[in-house]
Amino acid sequence: MNVITNKSKLYDKLFGLALLGPAVLIVGGFVFLPVFQSVLISFQDFKLARGTSSYPWIGLDNYKLLWEQGDLQHAFWITFSFMLMVVIIILVFSMILSLFFNQGKSSDRTMRSLILLSWGTPTVIVALLWSWMFQAQYGIINYVLLKLGLISESISFLAHPDTALGSVAVAAIWRQLPFMFLMLLSGLQGIPKEMYEAARIDGVNSVQSFFYITLPFLRNVIRASVLISIITSFKQFPLFWVMTGGGPMRSTETLAILTYRNAFVNMNFGIGAAVATSWLAALVLFSIIYNRVFKEASY
Amino acid sequence: MSTTQSYKPLLNIVSSHNSKAIVKKVAIRLIIGVFLLFLLFPIYWMIVTSFKTNLEIYKIPPQWIPLQPTLDNYLGVFVDNNFLIYFMNNLYVSVGTTILTSFAAVFAGYSLSRYRSRLGNVVNTGLLSTQMFPVVGILLALYMIFRDLHLINTRMALVISLSAVTIPFSTLLIKGFFDDIPKSMEEAAKIDGCSRLGILYRIVIPLSKPGLLAIGVFTFMQSWNDYLFAITLIVTNSKRTLSAGISLRYLGEVSYDWAQVATVSVVGALPMFILIFIFQRYMIKGLTAGAVKG
Repeated sequence: MNVITNKSKLYDKLFGLALLGPAVLIVGGFVFLPVFQSVLISFQDFKLARGTSSYPWIGLDNYKLLWEQGDLQHAFWITFSFMLMVVIIILVFSMILSLFFNQGKSSDRTMRSLILLSWGTPTVIVALLWSWMFQAQYGIINYVLLKLGLISESISFLAHPDTALGSVAVAAIWRQLPFMFLMLLSGLQGIPKEMYEAARIDGVNSVQSFFYITLPFLRNVIRASVLISIITSFKQFPLFWVMTGGGPMRSTETLAILTYRNAFVNMNFGIGAAVATSWLAALVLFSIIYNRVFKEASY
Repeated sequence: MSTTQSYKPLLNIVSSHNSKAIVKKVAIRLIIGVFLLFLLFPIYWMIVTSFKTNLEIYKIPPQWIPLQPTLDNYLGVFVDNNFLIYFMNNLYVSVGTTILTSFAAVFAGYSLSRYRSRLGNVVNTGLLSTQMFPVVGILLALYMIFRDLHLINTRMALVISLSAVTIPFSTLLIKGFFDDIPKSMEEAAKIDGCSRLGILYRIVIPLSKPGLLAIGVFTFMQSWNDYLFAITLIVTNSKRTLSAGISLRYLGEVSYDWAQVATVSVVGALPMFILIFIFQRYMIKGLTAGAVKG
């Protein structure tokens, strides 16, 4: 009897491992392996122009060059400001929207689907659409702002260093907001209605019940969805590439653009990989700190 | 908003400031209205633009509603063979990715949920950490790997790389669903002589249909949206997918023919809009069970 259970336990173990196989193989081979290789490339003088198959190891030279030129710091700053703008605005907006649409009327279902449409729009199409609306002569945004008297002459939003980053941020907010909305809404639907009723009977007002019931219940959802938006904003590439290409005057040159430009436009893969590696290291460090801070806050 | 509902009766009792409540209500509606305008107007504008001629597009003041809607742009898009090629390639890649990801995610999610082991924990952490990896940063290495596998310029390369980035999220999401299924049901089936795979197919999968739908929809949407893999791994026009094709062709050659761009955009986004309308309920359910808990 003992032999059989032992055997069956071993089979269980093997079966469990076998099930992991496909996922581990695909993710390992096509995410982890290339990440590892990129880190290695970042320590090499890896230029396509060299035309050889072996590339010399140059230690931290790629990083040094990036740092001395100031490209890395600049791109970090641009990416960070972009991320901050986008995340704060979508958190506030989607919180208000999800509270409103959590009333559970059946007519809201269509409305909810409509809200999600912008999230379903492919990013490249989002970039084209907003480029068209931000267009200087015929764009609808310039027309409306002029009519309302908010500006005196039309602005080429995407061609001006002061407005380009903000304009791309608007498009990013438009695309990412519904996801946060969806997360918060599903979080809200998990809060038992009796909580609010009990609170109401006790004479708690709506502002208090938001801070003492809603927010604590949503803590995990907010933590997860804010982290996801931070990472999404950090990784954003198509919006910048299509709308501004990193310009004007590098005012929208984020880490993603800097990586791509070095690797695939300048064909200097070593530098490109060095940007990607620094950025990956920063993100990993950030998420560790982020999760720790949030966890400690619960005690 | 249960909170708004709760303050109304309260205000009625406490004070006679009924007008204050009305003002508050109007203000909330107004804010929501502005948000909705921001979210929905661009889509309206995209659709409207696609029904205008290029002449009407450049009119000032703009035509808010097309006076003489035209289908010429749509005819143009469908006569142009390229767009159909991009669209079908995108469909092929997205369906392929959805199938591959669903299988891998269901297996891995089930394993992580039921056969807990030290290796399982490592895999779990590994999958979570992939969410941070910038795709831009791995493109070159990925290109070299596919070159060695002789898969450059194939749609298979896109299916594999997209699966690699969608499997982690899908696995963790479906694991959340599996965690909620009581183990006792599986033990009963085991006693009845059901095999391990049989348990997964006959008991666990039917019980987690909403989860399967959710990972299917999320994966399909992410694959449909791909741009970076396509511009790196695909070289010839006949293999190109939607986003890459649109950005190269309609911005490069036709050079800001906005009516055409808007039309292509509408057709390119339409499958996603349909998915959202059909599966919205499952998407919320999926997030409630999976991502939110994790």
